Amino acid sequence: MKKSLIISTSIDLVRIAPEQIIYISSDGNYSTIVQTDSEMRVLSYQLGQIEKMISQQLGMDGNIFIRIGKSLIINRSYIYYINVPKQKLILSDAATFNHTVTASKEALKQLKELLEKEVK
Amino acid sequence: MREIKDIRDDEIRVIGENKLNLRVRKLWIGIISAIVFLIALGAVLLFIFSSHKREKNTETISISIESEEKTEVMTFPRIGQEVDSTKKGFTEVQDTTINDIPIRIFIPHNAELTLHVGEIDKQDSSIIYTAQAADVRADNGKIVGAFVLEGKPLAWGLSKKGFCASIDGEITIGVADNSPLFEKATEKNGYFFRQYPLVKDGVLIDNEPKGKAIRRAICDRYGEIFMVETLTQESFHDFSQALVDLNIGNAVYLVGSSAYGWAVDETGKRWEFGDENNYMWQKMAKNRSYIVWKKK
Repeated sequence: MKKSLIISTSIDLVRIAPEQIIYISSDGNYSTIVQTDSEMRVLSYQLGQIEKMISQQLGMDGNIFIRIGKSLIINRSYIYYINVPKQKLILSDAATFNHTVTASKEALKQLKELLEKEVK
Repeated sequence: MREIKDIRDDEIRVIGENKLNLRVRKLWIGIISAIVFLIALGAVLLFIFSSHKREKNTETISISIESEEKTEVMTFPRIGQEVDSTKKGFTEVQDTTINDIPIRIFIPHNAELTLHVGEIDKQDSSIIYTAQAADVRADNGKIVGAFVLEGKPLAWGLSKKGFCASIDGEITIGVADNSPLFEKATEKNGYFFRQYPLVKDGVLIDNEPKGKAIRRAICDRYGEIFMVETLTQESFHDFSQALVDLNIGNAVYLVGSSAYGWAVDETGKRWEFGDENNYMWQKMAKNRSYIVWKKK
């Protein structure tokens, strides 16, 4: 059975398949999950705590997620376009959704190099 | 829980990647544990063998081995309730008594902290809590201590070592002569103000003024941010001690006494405190500053 990510608080619980997550952004003490079905869910966890949950629950499978700087975790499966000078990253499945996020030039440069290395 | 290293904005990290290192580490731990176990087993067998020899010499030895391992897990439950993130912002109000001091705790939910200077709009329904932040000098009406309003520095002084910063939604309460968060607030359209430090890393900090008044503070308790107000007039020392006893890690003062403010609870009820028409506050209206928690 494929692993799901479970994010639980004392009153509610979110169970979500990793491939349904496009990206998770930080909003201070909160984080927002943007899902492939266009839903957005605000969670009362900091991004670092979500990163720990991914690492612990998904183990090696968690490597489909990449932490970019302080405020972003992206699903690498949906990286569609990177423009380093414009600090632009488009996450898309080339069919149903298209999300543009920003990150620092240095972080995007590293992301680009990472993906380039993977095809060599 | 394994700690994850902090990350800078110009870095990336593949999550779960260093799990491989973890496996290697676990393998080593397993090997070392096995060796230790074998040595222990050898020692026990040797002991039994030698005992058996002694028994043969008509001596009786009774051995009782008792092993007890206690693991105590320290947890610090939140003071406020867990609130569904889809709910509209509000302030949870709790009354309690610490060291015979009646206190009121205001816990904002689904809200973000900003600062405001000047008259505050009482009709603004997005505000769920506000209280005066920095002090204002009685002689020239200027803000006391360094102050940044949405990235714009308005004051630079260092008369008080406590500070509170709200940058990109992250709130930091601390004590320092110089804090890089002042510069960071100017760079990131953030907020920063200074006040008397009350508690640093769980340790009480004494302050010069010795009088008694209604006291207020903004506090950080294991990452939970909330405001505390005494319902009776208290000295700085007794107030700070009460905060320490409430397990607060860091706290800085908010303007106390009759300084005006309010909170809006879950039912929409407005909890006002201080005196809105106080002559002294009216006189300083121009540079009066507020912490303002607004609904997200």
